Amino acid sequence: MSEQEKRRYHSLEYMRRLQTSALSTHVENLTSPEDAAAPDGGISRRELLGRISKASAALAIGATGCERKPRRVIVSRAEGPEYQQPGKALHYASTFTEGPFPYGLNIKTVDGRPIKIDGNPDHPINGGVSNAQVQAWILSLYDPDRLQSPMRGEETASWAKADAAIVEVLKSAASVVVMTRSTLGPSERAMLEEFLRRFPRARHFVHESAHDAPRRAAWRKIYGVEGEWLPRFDAAEIIVSVDADFLGVDGPSLEHTRQFVQARAVNDADPAATAMCRLYAVESAMTLTGSNADHRLRLRPSAMAAFLRALRAALRGDAMRLRRLAEEHGLDERVADAIVDDLRRHRGGALVVAGGHLPENVHAAAAFLNHDLDAPGNTLEWNPQPATLPVSAPSEVAAVLSQGVDALILLGVNPVYDWPGGGFEALLSKAALSVGHDVYRTETLAACSWALPSNHGLESWNDAAPRAGLRSWCQPMIAPLFDTRQEAESLLRWTQILADPDDTIRHFGDWHDYLKHQVAQTFADVSWETCLRTGVLRTDTHTALPDFDATAAEALEQQETVAGSFEAVILPHYAVHDGRFANNAWLQELPDPISKMVWDNAAAISPKTAAALGVREGDMLRIAANGTELRVPALIVPGTMDQVAVLTLGHGRSAGGEVVLAAGGVNVAPLLGRDNPHAPRTLLRVEVSKDSGRRRLVRTQQAFALHGRPIVIDGTLAEFQADPAFVEHKRHLPREADLYAPFDYSKGHKWEMAINLNACTGCNACMIACQAENNIAVVGREECDRGRDMHWIRVDRYLTGDPENPAAHHQPMLCQHCDNAPCENVCPVNATTHSPEGLNEMAYNRCVGTRYCSNNCPYKVRRFNFRAYQDKMLRDPVQELAHNPQVTVRDVGVMEKCTFCVQRINAAKFAARNRGENVKDGAVRTACQEACPAQAIVFGDANDPESLVAKLKRSGRRFRVLEELNVKPNVNYLARIRNPHPGVGDAAESAHAKDSKDKVDMVYAQAPVRPDPINVAAPVNSVHSVHFVHPNNEGQSA
Amino acid sequence: MSADTSILKPAPLIEGRITPRELDDAVFAPVESFPTGRWLIAVSVTGAIALLFPICIANTILNGIGTWGVNQPVGWGLAIVNFVFWVGIGHAGTLISAILFLFRQKWRTGIARFAEAMTIFAVFCAMQFPLFHTGRPWLAMFWLIPYPNDQRIYQNFRSPLEWDVFAVGTYGLISFMFWYLGLIPDLATARDRAKHPFRKFVYGLLSVGWSGSNRAWTHYEKAYLMFAGLSTPLVLSVHSIVSFDFAVSVIPGWHTTIFPPYFVAGAIFSGFAMVATLIVILRRMFHLKHIITDNHLDLMNKIVIVTSLMVGYAYAMEFFIAWYGGVAVERYVFMNRAMGPYAWAYWTMVICNVVVPQLLWIRRVRRSVLLMYPIVLLINVGMWFERFVIVITSLHRDYLPSSWGMYIPTWTDIGLFVGSFGIFLTFILLFCRFLPSVSVTEMKAALLHTQSAHGGDHE
Repeated sequence: MSEQEKRRYHSLEYMRRLQTSALSTHVENLTSPEDAAAPDGGISRRELLGRISKASAALAIGATGCERKPRRVIVSRAEGPEYQQPGKALHYASTFTEGPFPYGLNIKTVDGRPIKIDGNPDHPINGGVSNAQVQAWILSLYDPDRLQSPMRGEETASWAKADAAIVEVLKSAASVVVMTRSTLGPSERAMLEEFLRRFPRARHFVHESAHDAPRRAAWRKIYGVEGEWLPRFDAAEIIVSVDADFLGVDGPSLEHTRQFVQARAVNDADPAATAMCRLYAVESAMTLTGSNADHRLRLRPSAMAAFLRALRAALRGDAMRLRRLAEEHGLDERVADAIVDDLRRHRGGALVVAGGHLPENVHAAAAFLNHDLDAPGNTLEWNPQPATLPVSAPSEVAAVLSQGVDALILLGVNPVYDWPGGGFEALLSKAALSVGHDVYRTETLAACSWALPSNHGLESWNDAAPRAGLRSWCQPMIAPLFDTRQEAESLLRWTQILADPDDTIRHFGDWHDYLKHQVAQTFADVSWETCLRTGVLRTDTHTALPDFDATAAEALEQQETVAGSFEAVILPHYAVHDGRFANNAWLQELPDPISKMVWDNAAAISPKTAAALGVREGDMLRIAANGTELRVPALIVPGTMDQVAVLTLGHGRSAGGEVVLAAGGVNVAPLLGRDNPHAPRTLLRVEVSKDSGRRRLVRTQQAFALHGRPIVIDGTLAEFQADPAFVEHKRHLPREADLYAPFDYSKGHKWEMAINLNACTGCNACMIACQAENNIAVVGREECDRGRDMHWIRVDRYLTGDPENPAAHHQPMLCQHCDNAPCENVCPVNATTHSPEGLNEMAYNRCVGTRYCSNNCPYKVRRFNFRAYQDKMLRDPVQELAHNPQVTVRDVGVMEKCTFCVQRINAAKFAARNRGENVKDGAVRTACQEACPAQAIVFGDANDPESLVAKLKRSGRRFRVLEELNVKPNVNYLARIRNPHPGVGDAAESAHAKDSKDKVDMVYAQAPVRPDPINVAAPVNSVHSVHFVHPNNEGQSA
Repeated sequence: MSADTSILKPAPLIEGRITPRELDDAVFAPVESFPTGRWLIAVSVTGAIALLFPICIANTILNGIGTWGVNQPVGWGLAIVNFVFWVGIGHAGTLISAILFLFRQKWRTGIARFAEAMTIFAVFCAMQFPLFHTGRPWLAMFWLIPYPNDQRIYQNFRSPLEWDVFAVGTYGLISFMFWYLGLIPDLATARDRAKHPFRKFVYGLLSVGWSGSNRAWTHYEKAYLMFAGLSTPLVLSVHSIVSFDFAVSVIPGWHTTIFPPYFVAGAIFSGFAMVATLIVILRRMFHLKHIITDNHLDLMNKIVIVTSLMVGYAYAMEFFIAWYGGVAVERYVFMNRAMGPYAWAYWTMVICNVVVPQLLWIRRVRRSVLLMYPIVLLINVGMWFERFVIVITSLHRDYLPSSWGMYIPTWTDIGLFVGSFGIFLTFILLFCRFLPSVSVTEMKAALLHTQSAHGGDHE
């Protein structure tokens, strides 16, 4: 058989298998011996005909034959027909159970297979928006690296065998320990209790490495009850964030982003009426939140508590402490004074948030400040039922496990990888029976006596309680692809076998029944179907504010902070979190929003610290803390506090899939202290020194200076209010003339996009949304290093101002669909052309790959298939399913780029035509727009004067990037408005006076082959000093 | 006046007195004798190097263009550098055979045949690169050519790449025909001199029945003049159009009106340097020193220094306009050329193309093989780097700093470049072995003319 025939045969074979297993109740059929029956791998003619007819039948029924219905009835949230139509998408509500917070989901399925995940618009926490991890979760579903059947050691086994062996041990077990993540749903918690009830000495431990345990513990001590403060950023006028990356990795960032963006909304119609909050970020690490701050101070983690105490003293009239602290730590006193001034003026509208990784005394100090500022009830809400369970103290877990237990059951946790201080294998080996239950064969599962495969969340039934008065549900979108089982299902099975014959637990057919029963008990008046259809249920709750125990807080606040000369913070990674997403190639290839590094983690240090240590980027650092030593490559990130190393969790994994192994990085969990009961991820005494060796770190963006070019334009609120069209004065546009009469776009649609830079936080959700929607390939670390990443939309980051503490500017950059597109006239074969609706289109089939279009693109947004990046994914029958069937997969040698989601435009046009009406504004939403947590992206028909995009185009803040080239881009940007305190200068402008273009150029000129990031972040002139074309105007503006 | 006026008299075209018979013997000696050991060694070395080319092409086609160093933002790499380099090399041949012919520069006769052959081989090498640098050459080889087809998609005649197809295609075709036409009488001589019937047959076939009749000569002369007329505008147009690939774009560093004359001057510059480089070896290898004289080298070197000044002017003018134009991005691109990460390439180019050739002002340097040879070699290097600087440094840092990157060639890139030299040199060696490398016909005419005028002088 030729290669092609073989492939065709395999795909038929695969479809048949899927069909059989979907119809039967036993997934074991996937590997039924019947398939192996034919001699030496061949098949008889008769059998082949049979198979083909079966496959054709499958095609007839399911259009693509990939139909895979869950066994139980699931309910679509769509109003439409109950049964799907071939090729027509159905949307289902569900819940994100894999991430650190249970967001509500809206899942698109086509022909019975989920292909795209977005936020559930009815969910009060995330609304319709989503983040990169939610978007990328679909890829994990179709991951062939998932554990596909139960394993005992290195051998696969059947579930029956596994159950029998495990229950045999459990029957006589006395001490049983179950370790789970902190994000168990209420029914899972009930199931777990039901299970643990059967054993005399049963313990449930919660393990997370990326937790906010010190914060929760501090609140527990101060308020005497379990619960959490929910910041209300939308109600805040002044926000002081103390190392809290609330827009990034601290808490439900989607909710925070939505609120924050709302509080910063600009009133374009009436600029004077713009009421905008002001964000002060006091940070040791350069975070996404800090990059969105109006003022940012750099401070060591150990000084955070003292800073908050000094603020409080200053508010009470004693400014000396703050002054001394500012002097000692080199803080800008004007900013410190501005914070005091603002907090004093905005009692009841002020909010102080502190990072979950900081020690307890910081949270006590923050609590004092918040109570002084009257924040509780105004800008803080009390939630007595947090979504996450409190994390168990590692020392306590170790104490129990070291005595040896009869059974240790690890559900979805990976302590062998991320146990604080490392060394969990020793504890694990003391258990008589160790059972690991996870989606991948992680380090932990490889060490357990039994490794059980879990369902992906999209194959699971579940519920979640994000907070008091809120429930959401998780329904399977597809029957399990492999021989897997949900963790709760396993617990139920084992409990049922262990239970007495008349025990009620035996009445439940499966976990679905149990869950349904639980829901029915809790919500007697709501039908199960309603729950599933809406995906979320709100019940009214009125929670009283907890009592503030000042004495307890004081005691906590007084805790000593003893710091060495070097400190470190360990943060969850923006993309792979604590490592649970490490086998997701989309997330590995998602650039860090700050450093733009991919496929790796590293120790971020400031340029000054790098110079002091004598290291260049990529040089190895020896980092020692808590008796452990690690070698971590140095990453130079301007804005990081001097003498602080910022490390991230989630990399350096050693098992769990091909992607995990391809990714680089260092596991920093061994640095986490175990002695402190809650092991805050702030290390106050760290030794850092230069070590031998280098690792080449890969960044997708290497130059961060603006060079005085008017690429991103922003201004202050005062500027905007004084002159709403201030953008026009920030650059000079030459008068351009067209050689030919321009095309008349006034008839029909004219698609345009508006990107509100004032809302964009730079979170990268759009990048993964685009990747999922448009079948964008992953290229891998080496190809990224060569500069061949394929993202159709990227988020550019520029730095201005102080090189040690720069102001950041985020800018999503995608194909601008220029009406005078430079790419179009240079293509020799007419493969890229302009549509009468203003789209710059690519005919992939016609493209011969000269790459001239890409060279001539001033935005460099075109992407070329330098290699057959999709081949591997297309050859894998499981991975292949992750592709969006409505978008062509591009072959090697072909250019591709953003299409403005033309498949969605056409779908909306067809739908409107079938209804006999015009396309309504908002009917076409691009994938990036749909995902964007800040709703910064708006797409629509600019010919419709009432459309949102047309309205935004009329804003005074509107500008277009490289407008001076007369390429007539169809992407409009709205200038970002910063809100600095009137008494302090604008951070983005502070380097204005001493800027020198030539100096910057010289710095670049000396750069080695790989630009040195210190130089890259060198002082740059602000965007306000731009003279673009006319030499005569030199020196006049600004 | 006692001043020595001999310096104003053109030097003799041929050194010493020589009969037409001796000329035939000298020129046809390498064609008719058994290959020497040196030639066999040379051709096996160049042949081995040439093999690199198909190997690297196979790697490219099997594994994608990703085997090269091209990336975002540098979409064109060594392939386009090599393309422009080779097309440029070709220009000297056409200039010598056509323009100098029309200007009645008799001294061209000694080197014209060889220079033309070099043109054809250079254009052949050049044409490989734009084809194989595409992502899908198996489609590019058809879809860039407007043939009747069912796709109903026409080529985009606004694209300079499409212009290239015609410009380079025409150039290759015309050059070949011009060269072949000039060869016919000499092929006939080879036929007539041949002893072996096979040789006689092959050269007879190639000389397409040349009879040497008066009528034939009349037609021949007319056709030759016509082809010279056809080729002359091509010398200017081909590299102008190649320069449009860059000049028509919006990329700072490319978007320049000076490019067409700058490219043509550069092409002639590099072409003459290459002719000089090769002809010095050739005349030594085949003992043609009396036919290709130091005087020829002197004259070629004069053209080299003129064109060197022209490219030097272009380099300076580009910088001046970048400054004078006041476009910040363009200023940056030129500052980046001179001081950025590829400054080494830029300064290699300036030193080799502008500084070193100034030595050719000295007559002794022009006429001394030992002194002028390193200079022309360096010019070859410098002109390659000129194209590298234009292609790479303009692309690697353009408008948005966020997309800036670096270009590092891979072994496949370098293999293709080296391999193309192998192909070129192999062709040259084969040419010298099988075809008369000097136009005997024209030389005989010159011989009769000059030697009849007693003393070798003519007006």
